Amino acid sequence: MISIKYIKKLLFCVLLISFVPLLSISQTFTVSGTVKEKASGETLTGASVGIVEKPKVGVTTNEYGFYSLSLPKGKYTLRISFVGRKEELIPIQLDSSIVVGISLTDASAMGEVVITAKKRSDILTKASMGTEVLDMKTAAKIPVVFGEKDLVKTIQLLPGVKNNGEGTNGFSVRGGATDQNLIILDEAPVYNASHMLGIFSTFNSDAIKDATIIKGNSPAQFGGRLSSVLDVKMKDGNNKKYQVSGGLGLISSRLTVEGPIQKEKSSFIISGRRTYADMIARLSPDFKGLKLYFYDINAKANLTINSKNKLFFSGYFGKDELGISSAFGSKWGNTTGTLRWNSIISRKLFSNTSFIYSNYDFNVGFTTGGNTTNFNSNIKDLNLKQDFTFYPNSKNTIRFGFNAINHTITPTKAEGTNILSTKKGRKALENAVYAGNSWKASDKVNIDYGLRFSFYNVLGGDTYNVYKDNQLAQSIQLEKGKVGKTYYNFEPRFSMSYNLNNTTNLKMGYARNTQNLHLMSNSTGGSPTDQWIGNSYNIKPEIADQVSLGFNKLLNNNKYELSAETYYKVMQNQVDYRDGVDINTTPDIEKELLYGKGRAYGVEVLLKKKTGKLTGWVGYTLSKTERQINGINNGQWYNAKQDRTHDLSIVGVYELSKRWTLSGTFIYTTGNAVTFPTGKYILNGMTIYQYGNRNADRMTATHRLDLSATYERPTKKRFQSSWSFGLYNAYGRQNPFSITFRENKTNPQKIDAVQTSLFRWIPSVTYNFKF
Amino acid sequence: MKTIISILLIAILFTSCEKTVDLKYKGNTSKIIIEGNITNEAAPYFVKITKSVSLTATGNYPTIDNAVVTISDNAGNNETLTPISNGMYRTNTLTGVTGRTYTLTVNAEGQTYTAQSAMPQQIRLDSIKAEQTTFGGDVEYNIIPVYTDPIAKGNSYRFELTVNNKLVNQHFVQNDEVVNGAVNAERLQVDDNTLKLKAGDTLTLKMQCIDKNVALYYTTLALIGDSGPGGGTTPNNPPTNISNGALGIFSAHTVATKKVTLR
Repeated sequence: MISIKYIKKLLFCVLLISFVPLLSISQTFTVSGTVKEKASGETLTGASVGIVEKPKVGVTTNEYGFYSLSLPKGKYTLRISFVGRKEELIPIQLDSSIVVGISLTDASAMGEVVITAKKRSDILTKASMGTEVLDMKTAAKIPVVFGEKDLVKTIQLLPGVKNNGEGTNGFSVRGGATDQNLIILDEAPVYNASHMLGIFSTFNSDAIKDATIIKGNSPAQFGGRLSSVLDVKMKDGNNKKYQVSGGLGLISSRLTVEGPIQKEKSSFIISGRRTYADMIARLSPDFKGLKLYFYDINAKANLTINSKNKLFFSGYFGKDELGISSAFGSKWGNTTGTLRWNSIISRKLFSNTSFIYSNYDFNVGFTTGGNTTNFNSNIKDLNLKQDFTFYPNSKNTIRFGFNAINHTITPTKAEGTNILSTKKGRKALENAVYAGNSWKASDKVNIDYGLRFSFYNVLGGDTYNVYKDNQLAQSIQLEKGKVGKTYYNFEPRFSMSYNLNNTTNLKMGYARNTQNLHLMSNSTGGSPTDQWIGNSYNIKPEIADQVSLGFNKLLNNNKYELSAETYYKVMQNQVDYRDGVDINTTPDIEKELLYGKGRAYGVEVLLKKKTGKLTGWVGYTLSKTERQINGINNGQWYNAKQDRTHDLSIVGVYELSKRWTLSGTFIYTTGNAVTFPTGKYILNGMTIYQYGNRNADRMTATHRLDLSATYERPTKKRFQSSWSFGLYNAYGRQNPFSITFRENKTNPQKIDAVQTSLFRWIPSVTYNFKF
Repeated sequence: MKTIISILLIAILFTSCEKTVDLKYKGNTSKIIIEGNITNEAAPYFVKITKSVSLTATGNYPTIDNAVVTISDNAGNNETLTPISNGMYRTNTLTGVTGRTYTLTVNAEGQTYTAQSAMPQQIRLDSIKAEQTTFGGDVEYNIIPVYTDPIAKGNSYRFELTVNNKLVNQHFVQNDEVVNGAVNAERLQVDDNTLKLKAGDTLTLKMQCIDKNVALYYTTLALIGDSGPGGGTTPNNPPTNISNGALGIFSAHTVATKKVTLR
């Protein structure tokens, strides 16, 4: 077993690698500070801070809006730019280290067209691959079902990110499974990111600042899932004035209050949502006992202690409830809390310390024959993160730190009349140390490299069974406080960009990701009752290695941005379970598990138009994803259920006038890989279907056009308001939700394939206000 | 967890709709199908041997009438069954006794298939409880077979439901994994999209005590029944106790039957 001492040594090595570029330090001074939005005081993440005189030098602000640039003595002009904000030019005299705070003005609020044509696009200045950032301004105008603007739904319109289908949970990134996405809200993992089985995401867009999706090539500070990181950040709240905003919709409403605690220093935001479809339904005596709603609350506050220290608290609480009278009821929800401490240790060193709590639980209850039965499951995390950003010089930005998570995972267990449950919660520690550097190697070359060392400890307090070929081989009684099976993994991350000329670059990357938590799903589409399990004596960490190549080009005087990426990914230690197992009632799910591997590859093309009256993008993905699991499909490779050959999305937003904005999205995707019967036979008087190869068939293709129009009413004093009209599935396509097979009523020898479709022509009206 | 999906469909997605679609099916490999039952009811018992056909085929299922079928038990009895045409084979001397293990051997088309099944102890089916529930204006019935599960763990039960003399093509299996050694209160997971029960219907419920392998076979069929996203598992041919790639099941089980008329 590796001792703590050894781990420390490793950490030291990791750090050493990152600090190599520092060996060439000359006499420099530092300009540092925070970039904020002028009207609200919200910090801006990912804003570019450059030097006009030295076009090759520049940094982007971190998650807290902080930047730091070290330069030789001299006179410079800072150029600060950010999507949708007016560019700022600030002259500075650098003969000592200085702090320069910057506020950017919202370009659209000034009635100006956003000018970014002069600015070199991020895709050309960063080495990072497979990364897209979406802010609320973009997402707000894109039509979604029931008119509830939704950042996560919008991200699913990007190439490489696939929604699992209408009425289902989750999404799949580059052929990965739903559980292979790390979804974090202010750093806290969100284990079930959807409400109402996927119709709404758990993210209330009124409380969200922006979201970033990283498709596998994440920097070393992220880890724990194979396919992607979806990093969602909450707003800090307006620190200049009090503001109330909200929206009234047909099935849900929202309200947000924000304002300063100390003017320009500290602020808070509280935002809540609730649906009320069931309240309307309950008016009818037929639906008297119906419960069908969700609500969620986001709250955040920040406190400036002094010019160098700042505290943030953010919390989320959400609950879904679904039930009919006393016979059936279910509830599920996430709770997260994050306490963060930002500290500017020096002009070159930024520190963030986070204490994070996250909890997901579900409960499903039935009453039949006078007996009650409850199934419930729960995953709870206590999480400590320490992250440093170090700006040694104008060419390097170094991130290093560690992360320790204490998991308590309670598998689905039954409770109720006559039930004696023996299942217990299990504890585990998931740890990582990491370091990475963003290096501007030359005018043409940018390199990001890093290493993450992750280790996972099974902790005592329960009996762990070891299975060999699904037969019990050993029972290990691990005492409380003892450390059991431990897994170690090194995860190198690398990406590089090479600029061919001012408008074109090439990128390449490699990343290894590991995953210690695994989601067992009892349905093909995902459900709130899916359960998480951790590594054990049987389950090893999942490992994915991804290589990718990219090509980026700015076209037509930088009005268009074209990016293409291709990837190949191999996955080890994939987990599935045997046929005929009910994962909720089986005594020990680990006895039923099967293991194998996966591979995924594809090409993604994205053409974006970011300026002008018409903005939007066209995204296309051609891809394949397969699995090979011993004990499934005779051990042969088969299509993963999320395998879809073609995936096209077109998003357009058109500013018709100052008041009216029109938008539309069109999607086309190949149907999911499914298994249809090939034959039939009679057994004991019943028709039974015969199946061939797994997932060798296709659902019918899904395509859909959604439209929306937004009317901004003239502002009266402080009162701003707008009306949004939406039409989901405008041409009423009957997209497949499921296909079932049954005997024809008149001719039982004939088998009918019956397709169920969910949403056709869903209109929506939402009234939004702000004062 | 199908109920969650169903409620959602009924309550909010008023727009959901069904239609019959034409699909292209992959070629089917015709397989031998063996259906064998030994019960604690009076002999004779039957084994049926047929072949599967492609999904779109109509007409009769091909039968195998020249197979050699033998059944033995762990009490030293052994007999070769008599073919009686239509793929059927009949026992002449064998009696089904609880606690005994039966072995089936089929020689057909140059291949040998074997299967084993143990007949569990008989559990009495006391009655059928039919609970009424109303939702969305519809009256629905929860059908609860009332029986007392023994203290010893590992019992499985299969139910054949007949409504107005028509066998329902759905699979119902219960076990004592969650509730053990108590009077059963769990309802049959009837798919009410395809079976609408109403007052006046006569229900016949046949309860079989089955062994673990037979239970796994029928549980898999039941799970496949909930197919589609949001419910059900990826379908596959259920794991069977018959060797050598044959489909079907050989089941030694007890039988108890009750009748009820819905009010």
